[in-house]
Amino acid sequence: MTVGRRPTKLLLAAMGGEGGGVLTSWIVAAAEAEGLVVQSTSIPGVAQRTGATTYYIELAAAGGAVPVMALYPGVGDVDVMVASELIEAGRAMQNGFVTPDRTTLIASTHRAYSIIERTAMGDGRADAGRVEQAAREMAKQAVLFDMAAAAREAGTVINAVMLGAIAGSGALPLSTAAIEAAISGSGKSVDSNLAGFRLGYARAQGEDGTAARAEDKRPHLSDRPTADNLLDRVVRTFPAASRTTLREGVNRLIDFQDPAYAKLYLDRLDAVRDAAGDDDIVTEAGRFLALRMSYEDVIRVAQAKTRPERIAGLRREVRARADEPVVVTEFLKPGIDEFASVLPPALARRLIAWADRRGLKAKLHVGLHIKSSTISGYLLMRTLAGLRRFRRRGYRYAVEQAAIDAWLDRVGRAARIDAGFAREVIACANLIKGYSDTHRRGIENFDGIMATLVDPTLAGEMDPASAAAAVRGAREAALADPEGNALRETLAAPPVAKLAAE
Amino acid sequence: MERSFKKEVQSLRLGDGETFHGEGILAVTKALLQSGVSYVGGYQGAPISHLMDVLVDAEDILDDLGVHLETCTSEAAAAAMLGASINYPLRGAATWKATVGTNVASDALSNLASAGVKGGAMIVIGEDYGEGASIIQERSHAFAMKSQMWLLDPRPNLPTITRMVEQGFELSEHSNTPVMLELRIRACHVHGSFPTRDNRRPQFSRNQVIEHPDFDFSRICLPPSTYAQEKHKIEFRLPAAIRFIAENGLNETFDGDVGEIGIICQGGLYNSVMRGLDQLGLTDADGNSRLPILALNVTYPLVPDEITAFCAGKKAVLMVEEGQPDFLEQAVNVALRKADLQTRVFGKDVLPMAGEYTSEVVLNGLGGFIAGTRPAGVDAEAVAARLAALMAGKTRAAELLGAAMPTRPPSFCTGCPERPVFSAIKILEKEIGPTHMAADIGCHTFSTLPPFNLGNTVLGYGMGLASAAGVAPNMGKRVISIMGDGGFWHNGLTNGVGSAMFNKDDGVLMIMKNGYTSATGWQFLPSSAQDRTGKDPGMSIEAALKGLGVRWLRKVRTYHVAEMIKVLREAMTSKDKGLKVIIADGECQLARQRRIRPKIAAQLKRGERVVRTRFGVDDETCTGDHSCIRLSGCPSLTIKPNPDPLRTDPVAHVDNSCVGCGLCGEVSHAAVLCPSFYKAEIVQNPRWLDRLLDRVRRAVIGRLAGAAA
Repeated sequence: MTVGRRPTKLLLAAMGGEGGGVLTSWIVAAAEAEGLVVQSTSIPGVAQRTGATTYYIELAAAGGAVPVMALYPGVGDVDVMVASELIEAGRAMQNGFVTPDRTTLIASTHRAYSIIERTAMGDGRADAGRVEQAAREMAKQAVLFDMAAAAREAGTVINAVMLGAIAGSGALPLSTAAIEAAISGSGKSVDSNLAGFRLGYARAQGEDGTAARAEDKRPHLSDRPTADNLLDRVVRTFPAASRTTLREGVNRLIDFQDPAYAKLYLDRLDAVRDAAGDDDIVTEAGRFLALRMSYEDVIRVAQAKTRPERIAGLRREVRARADEPVVVTEFLKPGIDEFASVLPPALARRLIAWADRRGLKAKLHVGLHIKSSTISGYLLMRTLAGLRRFRRRGYRYAVEQAAIDAWLDRVGRAARIDAGFAREVIACANLIKGYSDTHRRGIENFDGIMATLVDPTLAGEMDPASAAAAVRGAREAALADPEGNALRETLAAPPVAKLAAE
Repeated sequence: MERSFKKEVQSLRLGDGETFHGEGILAVTKALLQSGVSYVGGYQGAPISHLMDVLVDAEDILDDLGVHLETCTSEAAAAAMLGASINYPLRGAATWKATVGTNVASDALSNLASAGVKGGAMIVIGEDYGEGASIIQERSHAFAMKSQMWLLDPRPNLPTITRMVEQGFELSEHSNTPVMLELRIRACHVHGSFPTRDNRRPQFSRNQVIEHPDFDFSRICLPPSTYAQEKHKIEFRLPAAIRFIAENGLNETFDGDVGEIGIICQGGLYNSVMRGLDQLGLTDADGNSRLPILALNVTYPLVPDEITAFCAGKKAVLMVEEGQPDFLEQAVNVALRKADLQTRVFGKDVLPMAGEYTSEVVLNGLGGFIAGTRPAGVDAEAVAARLAALMAGKTRAAELLGAAMPTRPPSFCTGCPERPVFSAIKILEKEIGPTHMAADIGCHTFSTLPPFNLGNTVLGYGMGLASAAGVAPNMGKRVISIMGDGGFWHNGLTNGVGSAMFNKDDGVLMIMKNGYTSATGWQFLPSSAQDRTGKDPGMSIEAALKGLGVRWLRKVRTYHVAEMIKVLREAMTSKDKGLKVIIADGECQLARQRRIRPKIAAQLKRGERVVRTRFGVDDETCTGDHSCIRLSGCPSLTIKPNPDPLRTDPVAHVDNSCVGCGLCGEVSHAAVLCPSFYKAEIVQNPRWLDRLLDRVRRAVIGRLAGAAA
């Protein structure tokens, strides 16, 4: 492309530590080498500390009076918008820096989650699909690919890949030779930067990534050898739409305990299926029931941490080379609850009552650093996992089964009244997760919603349709703040139509 | 320092007829040397931190010219340094961020401005206003007016900025008045070029010392001299300045064919005005404005004759003036009134009174001005249509995006040593309940942002403890005051600790000792392990505290969360009345990483054994509650889609930027969170014993695991 007297404008949105300043200096150096008039500016400041920041560059042809160049990007006035991350591209659109008449948008499609998204108690992620779709609609030309992955592939930092994508898009009046010379001229990590640059260039020119997009989900568990009869029963007696989930559930519960426990799972689901006229309810109940029945006790945690395939995945995750030993330390801090969970119920109740009386429950914890990569550490974890055979006799098992039965009873009764309401009762199971305080808080929230909204509806005191909405609202409130303030407010005045008592 | 300028400072040696290419701050430094300064000093802070960094990296060039550099411990010290120009023909410059730095400096500044200067005195002010600013939003303009100092606000291109530095010194000497050169954030960081001249050796310097001290009571700030000084300001200095500004054309007028209206703007906003006019179709083919513009490179004092000459014959002008109050708009109105001109002044009616004048703000202001004046020769409808078209993109994007994008407030860096302190406070809060926390200025101010949301007030740099003096006696629990080591040496030692000890105040002071003024870019401070020459400064926080009589003093490694909780609990509940000081000790992780990374790379290259530590999360046991993130906020502790086919909420995930600081493990223990975290120690270049042990372990564990499956 050619450059005129009126400047070509490039805005770069990046986060601290992504090398936006270096990327800017490469473009400036290349432009000066090409004999262009160039100006750049930035607002590092506190944004440099992990915040979002921007760099702005204007380029114009030399000769005659020097054109007046701006220090701010103008709304509707950006030729090349570069974003190092998808939400930053969204922010650029939101600020009016991407317009269909002129803007080439070059953005990485990967996500670096903001603190708001990361601290949400459930799923607080922004709608990435919608941002990507908006990008294609708002830009004159959109160059979108996962530049973070490309940087990893090339063994470099994302700024080199972004520069390659800028060059590959053809949107800047700079020759590839001048840009490569600028990278070489900076004298630092030249080879890896050039590799990143070339990869970015090729991707922008439409070359497909060789690395397939990483699959988000683990594969389903393979069928347990002892599962045949149960899986057969799934196929014979459950709706087709629910079978994948139920099959996973069966296999998971055999893994968690034994085939008899998985049979109990299907027995429980028989009741749900008979009550519900809706395949979706069976699937969702099957999903949450499998999760509730495979609750995270010490035994389960030890089991997960001693799986034969774990260490290979862990080594990949921490990028250990084949010849490098990896020492793994686990952080366990069992307390009264954890000890009680494996004791017989009667004994456990006495232990808990004693600890409560003395105010010891929050205080008595044993901090353990277990090196699971050593033989003794592994054996200790294996021993914990081996407690599985005593699990059924333990206190936690009794508590969990009672809670599960109570919940499923509500699900079944709800399904007979209203499908939408039943779905909400099922989804409440998502509130119960985590460990220690988190787990306790989840149960409190769950119980609060059951007592205030679900049970009165089942007793015919509330309208099921509006109760369904209220349960959903309460569930969202429960995930709004860890202190439970929002939920307390919601439950204090639920927006539910009370049915007149007869 | 955050950034090395060793390479860039070579351009400070450029001479006559050469061209400088580089950043605004570096260009200003070059202009100072071209102006023949004898001394420079300052206190770092964005956006002028780099000015101090450049000077430190250019010390050999300064030595050669005999220029003295002082890295002051506060802006007050830097301002007082300018006192050298009161009695002697020494040119000097000081720099700091405004307006906070000017606040700290104002005692010395008032005295300096009253006494007046013989040698040119310049303060380079980084006006930290608008997007990217880290401080309260105020203007430096008021300081210029109240103390009678001249305020330069050059058009933001390097030729104009450097010319104003040079002419600023002349203006200062002609009018015996210190001048302030105001640079906005983007101007400080603008990369451009300008033609250079040879550096000027100062008449007097370390290489050419003054033989006789000058005594002149009229330059002492004591009555009756102070009365005479005030009169001198009005009767001599101000008229001399106005004459100099007018005669030397410091302000610039640009003609345009639309004669009915015109624009007066602060020099620093000129480029935004030009771009706005261009966007609205109010420029010609060469990009020249069709509206006449008066660009004020000097915003205080104004030259009334220039204002009236520009406005004469115009039905309206637009005053483009960033920030509030609208000092310039008022002054322009007064000038017009006195000259009995009927030109209408637009300004804060079509532009906002407060906030940064971004491109978009100026664009809309210009649109309002055209709509309000409808000058002959301009198609006002076409201008309005262009403006509407430009703004339509935002509306469309908002529709397509559906929701506002999540913001990214700044936070503690990966592995920051200050984060664990706030994790500890947050965990202890659950046990003893919340209390008032007097926050301070520094990286630790980020504690007031998510995920910690800790800190009730911020009263200024080093003022954390002092700001607790009033609230502490009225609070049911002990107040926790925070102070960084930067703030401690800047102000906190005297105003905070000194005052608290003198008044026998009861309270808890947490001093973050990370070894640098890190928020401003890792400049050295008195308690750093080394100073800019690489030597131990031989000053310590502990010794200073003991010197002031502090008896309850503990030092805790910040990453030891459990220990920090214990010590903090003791400080909060101890029967011991008086000031209890905890030094939270941990080197700035960014600086540490920069220090150790090359060393580790060299060790690895030599084949030495190096253990790399990082943390991870078992995604099978993580249930996606994210309470670990709420107690940390570390950028490397993030989320990823849940790999469990039965779950949907994202799980916690440690990415590869983890530096293995250990906080994740400490927090999951201290707060009894969950067993999902693991620590991985990767042995690089393992010795034969490592390999053997690993082989045996893997073989045995492999068998055991296989037996289980």
